[in-house]
Amino acid sequence: MCLRCRRRAGIAILLALVACKREERAFHGLPPANSLSKPPVREIDLIPGTPHRPDSVPNPYEGNAYAVSQGKTLYNAWNCSGCHFQGGGGIGPPLMDADWIYGSRPENVFESIAEGRPNGMPSFGGKIVPDQIWQIAAYVRSMSGLLRKDVAPGRDDAMQVRPQEQSTTKAKPVQSAIPKSAELP
Amino acid sequence: MPARNFASTRYSGLNEITAANIAQLRLAWTFSTGVTRGHEAAPLVVGNTMYVVTPFPNLLYALDLTQPGAPLKWTYKPDPALASQGVACCDLVNRGAAYFDGKIYYNTLDAHTVAVDGKTGKEVWKTKVGDISKGESITMAPLVVKGKVLVGNSGGEFGVRGWLTALDAKSGKLAWRAYHTGPDKDVLIGTRFKPFYPQDRGKDLGVSTWPGDAWKIGGGGSWGWISYDPELDLIYYGTSNPGPWNPDVRPGDNKWTAGIFARDPSNGEAVWAYQWSPHDVFDHDGINEQILLDLPIKGQTRKVLVRPERNGYIYVLDRTTGEVLSADPYGYITTSKGVDLKTGRLIEVPEKATRTGKVVREVCPAAPGTKDWQPSSYSPRTGWLYIPHQNLCEDVEGVEANYIEGTPYVATIVKMYAGPGGNRGVLTAWDPIRRKAVWEIKEKFPVWSGTVVTAGDVVFYGTMEGWFKALDARSGAELWRFKTGSGIIGQPIVYRGPDKKEYVAVLSGVGGWAGAVVAGGLDIRDSSAALGFVNAMKDLPQATTKGGMLYVFALP
Amino acid sequence: MLPVLASPLVQQAHTTLNPASPQARLVDRLGAAMFVTASVVFLLVIAALLWAAFRRRAPDTPLVTNVQRERPMRTAVLLATGVTTAILFGFLIFDVSVGRTITTNPGKEALQIRVTGHQWWWEVQYRDSLPQNWVTTANEIHIPVGRPVVFELVSTDVIHSFWPPNLSPKRDQIPGDENSLWFQADSAGVYRGMCAEFCGHEHAKMGFLVVAEPPGQFAVWLAAQRDTALAPTDALARRGKDVFLASTCVMCHAISGTPAGSRVGPDLTHLASRQTIAAGTLPNTRANLTGWIVDPQVIKPGVKMPPSQLSGPDLVALVAYLETLK
Repeated sequence: MCLRCRRRAGIAILLALVACKREERAFHGLPPANSLSKPPVREIDLIPGTPHRPDSVPNPYEGNAYAVSQGKTLYNAWNCSGCHFQGGGGIGPPLMDADWIYGSRPENVFESIAEGRPNGMPSFGGKIVPDQIWQIAAYVRSMSGLLRKDVAPGRDDAMQVRPQEQSTTKAKPVQSAIPKSAELP
Repeated sequence: MPARNFASTRYSGLNEITAANIAQLRLAWTFSTGVTRGHEAAPLVVGNTMYVVTPFPNLLYALDLTQPGAPLKWTYKPDPALASQGVACCDLVNRGAAYFDGKIYYNTLDAHTVAVDGKTGKEVWKTKVGDISKGESITMAPLVVKGKVLVGNSGGEFGVRGWLTALDAKSGKLAWRAYHTGPDKDVLIGTRFKPFYPQDRGKDLGVSTWPGDAWKIGGGGSWGWISYDPELDLIYYGTSNPGPWNPDVRPGDNKWTAGIFARDPSNGEAVWAYQWSPHDVFDHDGINEQILLDLPIKGQTRKVLVRPERNGYIYVLDRTTGEVLSADPYGYITTSKGVDLKTGRLIEVPEKATRTGKVVREVCPAAPGTKDWQPSSYSPRTGWLYIPHQNLCEDVEGVEANYIEGTPYVATIVKMYAGPGGNRGVLTAWDPIRRKAVWEIKEKFPVWSGTVVTAGDVVFYGTMEGWFKALDARSGAELWRFKTGSGIIGQPIVYRGPDKKEYVAVLSGVGGWAGAVVAGGLDIRDSSAALGFVNAMKDLPQATTKGGMLYVFALP
Repeated sequence: MLPVLASPLVQQAHTTLNPASPQARLVDRLGAAMFVTASVVFLLVIAALLWAAFRRRAPDTPLVTNVQRERPMRTAVLLATGVTTAILFGFLIFDVSVGRTITTNPGKEALQIRVTGHQWWWEVQYRDSLPQNWVTTANEIHIPVGRPVVFELVSTDVIHSFWPPNLSPKRDQIPGDENSLWFQADSAGVYRGMCAEFCGHEHAKMGFLVVAEPPGQFAVWLAAQRDTALAPTDALARRGKDVFLASTCVMCHAISGTPAGSRVGPDLTHLASRQTIAAGTLPNTRANLTGWIVDPQVIKPGVKMPPSQLSGPDLVALVAYLETLK
């Protein structure tokens, strides 16, 4: 086989392997929450004393299309869609826009689900295992285009009511200036 | 009470403002509530004080009408649980307060009823009537009848078990509670219960018309209006949709959801009941207002209740027996073919029924129905009803229904859009004797405010763009309009001030189910957001912004 | 699957060759007829081939075309083609008539059962004109002997196929569509069925049992299934119920009579009355149930149920509670 052909074949195999990783299905996954101590959750970028330890925890599921699709299934099965609908919000705030009341980082989303938030977000910790919370968190972030396009879901099981997560333009997360609820005078 | 009288006519006998002088109607004073969620309440005027209940956090303001500009007398803060925001289906609204014997009564979103001293603003009692962890909340305005405060729960989207409760007005203690599903002893069905139609007779129908124990999470709350007939000594009120919306998991008539009860207010005993939509498959709650009238029908005067119902028909019922005398469409309907007056049953169109895994299109009226909570008024001078309502259709698909306590239990995906004609709102003047519309006003957005009509033959209502409008009650011609700061979804009132002048007041502050896209800051790219209402309201954020302001008008 | 086959739960191996219903018998007969005919044809063809191979032309004989001598050969070929066509047409008619017979309307007295395919289990619902009498169970279908049973077949996720080989041909379950099938069991027995359309990781462990029993026994079973779950009486089971409601279980499973009402996983109201767990994968014993709850991913990798995070005492209590759900 010629050298060029071999190189091409090598590249093709490599690409194929990368594609496999995207679909890797680990049934005994150990995402960060199981192994790491809880990172501080920052809802603000004003932190006294510099420098500070980077506190973002990677969610390994964010590179795994299978895990994200599982997250989407669970999001609908466990009535997340009952309040946030397909990302547009209703009872709860929208999830597909750029506004994040409690932070947009993976661990912020994890905490919102696990511990709940005071203005009506229930605490699902103890009712959903951390593994699955990470899957849901990965899906939630895909709704506003924060995940890679080849990982984000591309179709709905039911009536299509929103642009696919895959084709949602990446919104630069901003801390919402006006809280969406609890407007106490 | 917000509905003006026990018959709920919302007719004011004041006749100072008429078509001739209304051009001079101008702003008298304003008051900012400081809350920017949907303001659905009616201000309440008692003596020289006006009471205003805000959306969550359900503040109660007392304004002194004797002073220029109506300064604040006091504020009562009930501090409802923040978490209750998570179990309110359709914005954090409150529909108003009631007054009885020196006290103001109203409900808070976290399912408490409070009694506040009308003079001092001190809390007299506060009773927990529901449990938010089960999805219960309260948005309705209570009605006080014979020393009892009548309160019902919301939460048909959360798998609650619906009820109406009477609290003792003095002590706040529970007098009786009537559930709307389950065995007869819970529904307070006893020997006096004589429903008109055979399908409503039988033992424990609130159990046998549900699979297994689905009645325990079957919805059927009561978050709308109650009327009272002192002569017959009966209260009338409707029950909300069965839960979940997806009907595949709850075969049967699902009694007594999406229906109406007549009860004895002293002990809650049911006298008759009727279901507008047995086995409702569209979220067509039966909680709308019933206006109690004595109408000549086929040559004799009958005691009736008139009900512009969510499923698209204006019902006239004999309020002594529960017999349906007539039911006529007042909007575009594809979901049913009418009401069989022999059996009293709605004639359904099976192809339009919501099904799991099937997208059904052009379902009209949509989930909010031809008319939602927004109350109509009736003028004895014209003999007509002034009905604020909407013109919406939807696409709908049922999905798997999983009941998890404290989370929504809806299991349908809905996408609403304007019905034929493209106008999403309508105000219809309806002649209940000739059983047809006299005139109609088309509005761009749903008419989500109530109406009020006066002896000066003027009808007031508001639009979701923020226009407060006055119409000639006879011709429907627009006489006057004023642009308020935010969309209007409140109930306008007409009152006589301490200076004996006639005033008109309305709360402006867009929200509610229809206005959730603005009040909740929702994303219009998701057509299913806010139970599918966002798709029909994509242009509302361009038309109005959040607000919370009371506007009071008077002639100079 | 082997333990199940070896266990006394299933009396006969699941096979199409041992039919237990008129429908399966018709299909079996069709299959047998095809097999016999095809075998005969096969033998004849082989014989003809051998005959042709050995009856070769003598060497050095010139290839002369003799129209006179070729006529019988042509007749033979035509005849063979004709017979083949006739056999195929015969089969077509036989096949269509069997198809028609097994799909004829079984009549009004048929029992209606709705079976929904899920990844990777079966939801089974007995419907009734009185909604109160509806029964939802999973993975174990009881039917009365001698009465036609109509199955409404649906799916909520991917395409599955419903197949109890001893009783019936297979029929696909397609999301968004409704298929149906009917059969009637001739004799009492426990028959195993399976999913016959690849549907993901655990397609192979998506089994079910059909328990055919005398009508009286069936009626007793159905009546018992209508009951809501009894409240546990002993302290351990009571604690188990609290564990169930307070942990991850409640997110997916329903037990009627309790606030648990999720339909993601099988209904557990009468779990203890069922012979197997995990969709026909394991016999329903205390050890298997405990092992399954601790880590289902070991038994059925990829199954939607996550490993539990319960402490030992909680687990014991939970299993004790589940065993009361008769």
